[in-house]
Amino acid sequence: MKMNLSASTRFLGAIPLVAVALAFAFLTSCNSSNFNPAPELIAATSGTPQTAALNTAFAAPLVATVTMGGSPVSGVFVTFTAPATGASGTFASTSTNSETDTTNASGVATTSSTFTANGTIGAYTVTASVAGVTATTTFSLTNTSGPAASIAATSGSLQDATISTVFEAPLVATVLDANQNPVSGASVTFTAPPSSGASGTFNNGTATETDTTDASGMATSSPFTANANAGAYTVAATVAGLPPASFSLTNITGAVISITPTSGTPQSATVNAAFAAPLVATVMANGAPVSGATVTFEVPATGASGTFAGGVNTATTNASGVATSAAFTANGSVGTYTVTATVASGAEPASFILTNTAINYAFYLSGLEALNAGPNFYALAGSVSVDGNGNVLGGEQDYNDGFGLNSPEPSPDTILPGTAALTVDPTTGQGTLTLTTNNSSLGVDGVETLGVQFVNLNHALIMQFDGTATSSGSMDTQTLSSTLNDGNYAFTLSGVDSSYSAVVYGGVFSISGSGTTLAGTFDVDDTGAATAPTLDAPFTGTITGPDGFGRGSITSSALAIQLNYYVVGPETIRIIDVDNPNTGNGNDDSAIGSAFGQGTGTFSSASLGSSIFGVESNSLGSLYAAAGMFTTDGNGNLTTGIADDNEFDNGLIVPKATISGSYSITGNGYGSLTITAGDLGDVSVLGMYMTDPNLNLNDPNNTTSGLGGALLADLDGFTLNGTGVLTPQTDTSTGSFAGSYAFGAQAYNNPRGPTLGWEFDLVGQGTVGSLALNQATGLVSDPFFIFNTTPPDGTDTATFSGTAAPDPVNAGRYTMNLDMTLSGDPTYTTVIYQASGGQLFWLDEDKNGESVFLGPVQQQGSLTGLPAAQKGRAKTKSKKKQ
Amino acid sequence: MKPLSAALCTLVIFFLISSPSPVQAQTTAGAARSAAPFQYDIAREVTLTGTVSSVLTKAAPGMIAGSHLLIATPSGPVGASLGRFGLRGYGAVSVAIGQQIEATGVMRTIKDKPVFLVRTVKVGGEVYTIRNEHGVLLSPQARERAGQKTGQKWESL
Repeated sequence: MKMNLSASTRFLGAIPLVAVALAFAFLTSCNSSNFNPAPELIAATSGTPQTAALNTAFAAPLVATVTMGGSPVSGVFVTFTAPATGASGTFASTSTNSETDTTNASGVATTSSTFTANGTIGAYTVTASVAGVTATTTFSLTNTSGPAASIAATSGSLQDATISTVFEAPLVATVLDANQNPVSGASVTFTAPPSSGASGTFNNGTATETDTTDASGMATSSPFTANANAGAYTVAATVAGLPPASFSLTNITGAVISITPTSGTPQSATVNAAFAAPLVATVMANGAPVSGATVTFEVPATGASGTFAGGVNTATTNASGVATSAAFTANGSVGTYTVTATVASGAEPASFILTNTAINYAFYLSGLEALNAGPNFYALAGSVSVDGNGNVLGGEQDYNDGFGLNSPEPSPDTILPGTAALTVDPTTGQGTLTLTTNNSSLGVDGVETLGVQFVNLNHALIMQFDGTATSSGSMDTQTLSSTLNDGNYAFTLSGVDSSYSAVVYGGVFSISGSGTTLAGTFDVDDTGAATAPTLDAPFTGTITGPDGFGRGSITSSALAIQLNYYVVGPETIRIIDVDNPNTGNGNDDSAIGSAFGQGTGTFSSASLGSSIFGVESNSLGSLYAAAGMFTTDGNGNLTTGIADDNEFDNGLIVPKATISGSYSITGNGYGSLTITAGDLGDVSVLGMYMTDPNLNLNDPNNTTSGLGGALLADLDGFTLNGTGVLTPQTDTSTGSFAGSYAFGAQAYNNPRGPTLGWEFDLVGQGTVGSLALNQATGLVSDPFFIFNTTPPDGTDTATFSGTAAPDPVNAGRYTMNLDMTLSGDPTYTTVIYQASGGQLFWLDEDKNGESVFLGPVQQQGSLTGLPAAQKGRAKTKSKKKQ
Repeated sequence: MKPLSAALCTLVIFFLISSPSPVQAQTTAGAARSAAPFQYDIAREVTLTGTVSSVLTKAAPGMIAGSHLLIATPSGPVGASLGRFGLRGYGAVSVAIGQQIEATGVMRTIKDKPVFLVRTVKVGGEVYTIRNEHGVLLSPQARERAGQKTGQKWESL
C-alpha cells in the first residue's frame, strides 16, 4: 500500500484500533496470577530468501505475519524497509526503499507492489517492522548479475614461451552481463588446439580446463605450459552460448622477448608542449637485454595524442636493451591516452600513459564601458581554460562596473565551452578570444570578445574588442595551486570609489597561515574623500583558498573593499574589487590591480637603481599619463632623471622634463618616490612598493629577463591619481631595440560627441629595424567612435609606422611620430623609454592636447605552439582615415 | 574635418585673442615648474555673472579637454571650462545661448590662455556642480550617487 497522505491519515486513525486489538489480545492472554504481557511477534512468512538479477523484480512478494500471544493481529501497519545504500531495491508503490502494508484478518501483511533489485550486486536484508513494536523480522535477498552476455580476454594474451616451458602469466577472461556487470559463478572453459601442433596444457595435463568466475567476473586459468611444438596459436575461452574470447600465444624455440616501459610514464604536458621526458622502453630476452632491437612507438590516430620530433616513431635499443624515443610533443586535444611500444617478436606491447592538459590563462583588464548607459569605468578579471586548438573548455570571471552591472557575487560568471574561440595568426600572435558567459548582460548577449596580442606563449596584451566596452590588460598562463603562498607581497589597485570618484591603492602585505590571513600597510588616494591621500594605514584581512580556476577572495574591513583574486603563479595574483549593493558591506565600487611577491630578502635604498617608470590614470580619473627614467645614488636620491608628462584633463603637457627628487624604502619594500614638485607638472608624490628582484612585473611567467622593479601609485591627491610600474633599466643600447615587438596602449582622446566616451585601446605587432617600426598591424577597439570611420561594431584594424629618434643626450629615451591609419590626427607624438631591448613603454604626448596614451612595447618571443585555432594575418585598412 | 560651428569659431577666436602669447603646442616652462600646477584652491574662487554667448560641447585643438562656455560678463568675455562631464549624463548643465548664468570657479592660465575652471554653475534657477571642492571633475555617475545620498534632484539631458 502506498504510504501517501491519505494513508498517513488512515494510519493515525488506526492507532486506536491497533491499541484495542493489541489490548484485547493482551488481556485474553493474561490471568490474575501471572501478569506477564504476551510478546508481539512479527515473522517473515514467505519471500525469503530470494534472488533477482540486477534491475529486475523479485518473483515473490515479501510476506510477514503479526501475532500476539499466538493470535493473528489484523489492521496492523507493517513497514518493509530495504537498505538505503549499496545492494538494495525499490518498491514500485513508493519508488523508494520502503513500503507500508496492513495485516489482514490472518495477521498477514503482503507487499502490495513489486520489489525490484537495484544496480548493485550483493546480499542484503529487508526489514519488516511494526510501529511501536520492537520486534522485527528480516528477508534475505540477493541482487545478482544478469546472465552472461559477453566474455573477453583480460590478460595473458600476446605471450611467448619457450617450448615445453610455462607461460609467465595465466590466462584471464572476464564475463559480463548485458549491462556490463561482472557475472560471478560462470563456468569458463579454456580450450587449446590439439597437441599435434603448437599448443599447451593446463595443470590437469590436458588442453582443456574449466574455471569459475569470481566476484569480479574473472576466470583465471591454471599455469599453462607450452608443448614441444613451436608456433603461434589461439586458446579459446568460452561460456556456453557466447562467442569465445581468444588468447594469442606463441611457443618459441629461442629466447622469450619482453618489452616494458622503463620511464616516461605516466606523465603530463600542456597541449602543444613537449613532454618533459622521452618514452623509454627496455627489451629483454630471457632476462638478458637485447641490443639493436627496433622499438616502434604508436600513438592514437585521433583525439588526445602527440607527435615525435621529426616524425621518428622508432628507436633502437642500446647495449642495455633500452630504447629512447625522440622528444614527444602533445597535440592540441586534452585527455589521457596510451602510447604503445612494440618489438617485432610479438611480445605484449609496453604501454605509456600520457595526459595532455589544458592551458589556463588568467586575464584582467579595465577601461570604459559603453554598456549600462555608459561610459562607465569597469573592471574584468577571470580565468579561462583552452585546449591547443583554441577551444575554450570553461572558465569563470568577475565583472564589475561599480554602477550596477556585475557578476552574481559571490559567484562568478561562468565561461562556457566554445569551439575555436581563441583564433590567432600564428605568425604575429594577433587574434581574438571569444568568451561566452552565462551573464547575458555582458558583452553582446553574454559574449565578450577580447583582442589578443601574444608576446610569447605565456603572455598576451589584451583588450575588450566587441563594441560594448574598451579596455586594456594582460593575459598570462596560470600555475594553479590549492593555496596562496605565504610570504610578502606588494600591490596596487585603481578604480572608482562608492561615490564614483577615482581612487588608487598601493601597499605591501604579508600572507600567513598557509594562505589564509594577511596583514600590511597601504596608501590610498581617493578623490572622493575629504582628504587625500591617506598614507601608511594598517590593514588585516582573511583569504579564501583558490578554486579550480585560481579564484579566491580577500576580505579586509580596513581596505573597505571586497576583493577577489585570480592566481597567475606563486608570486602573482590579479585582484579585482567586486563590491556591489549585494555584497553586504554597503559599498558599490570597482577597482582592479595586481599583487606581486617580494621574494625572500629585505629592501633598502640600495634596492633602487637606474629605472624607467610609467603611470597612468584610470578611465574615470583625471586623465593623464607620465613616463620617464632616472638614476639613483643608492642612498635615497635621484641623481639624474628625464621624464614626460601629458595631463590631458588638466591641459598640461610637460615634455622632456629634467627631474630630480628622492625616495625612501623600508625593509618590507614599502616606499615612496618624490619627484621635486613642479619638475613634472602635477606628478610628484608616488607610492613605491618593491617587488621580487627575480620577478618580471610585465610578464610574470618570464623568469629570465626584465626582472625586478616596483609597483607605483601616484598619490598626488586631488590633482592626479594613477598606478604604474617601475622597471630596472639595464640596456639603453639602440641596437637592442630591434626585432619583433608586441605593443598596446590605453588611450584617452577627445570624445567625438558630447554623449560619447573618450577611450580607445589598441594592441598590435610589428618589426623594429634600424629603429623603424615597419609593417605593424593592430586591432583598435573604438566603441565610442572616436574615429569617424570605425565600423558600427566598434572594432577596427589599423597599420602603424614610425621611426624612433634616439634622444642624443638621454640614452634610453626616444621620440617617435607614430602614424596610425585610423587617426584623424596625423600622428601621435610619442616618447619611448627603454628598460632593455625587451621592455619599453611608450607615451603619447599629443601636441594638440587631443589625446594621451601609455602602453607597453615588448619584444616577442617564440610563438610556436600557440594554443589557438589559426587564422590568416589580419587585413588592415590601406588608406588613412579622417 | 567638419566645418567649425559658429559657436566653436566664436570660442576659438576668443581663445586666440585672449592668449598672452601665440598658441603654443606645449605648456610653458613656467607653468610646468609650478608645484602641482593644477591644484585647485577654493580660497581663490570667484563668481562670475553674465550671459552665455557660446556653448562648445567638445574641445577644439589647443583647448583644455571637455566642454566650454563663453560667458559675456561686464568685464568682457570669459571662457569657462566645464570639463568632460559638464554637458553630459546625469546632472548635466542645461544651458543655451543667451541665458543668464552665474559661475563659480577659479581663473587659471592653461596652455598660455586664461581659462575659468568652473566648480558650480547656476542657470535657470538650478545649481549644477561640475567639480568638487578640490577641483576634481564629477562624473555623471558621481553626481547621481551624490544625488542619491542627499536626495537632491538633478537635471539631466
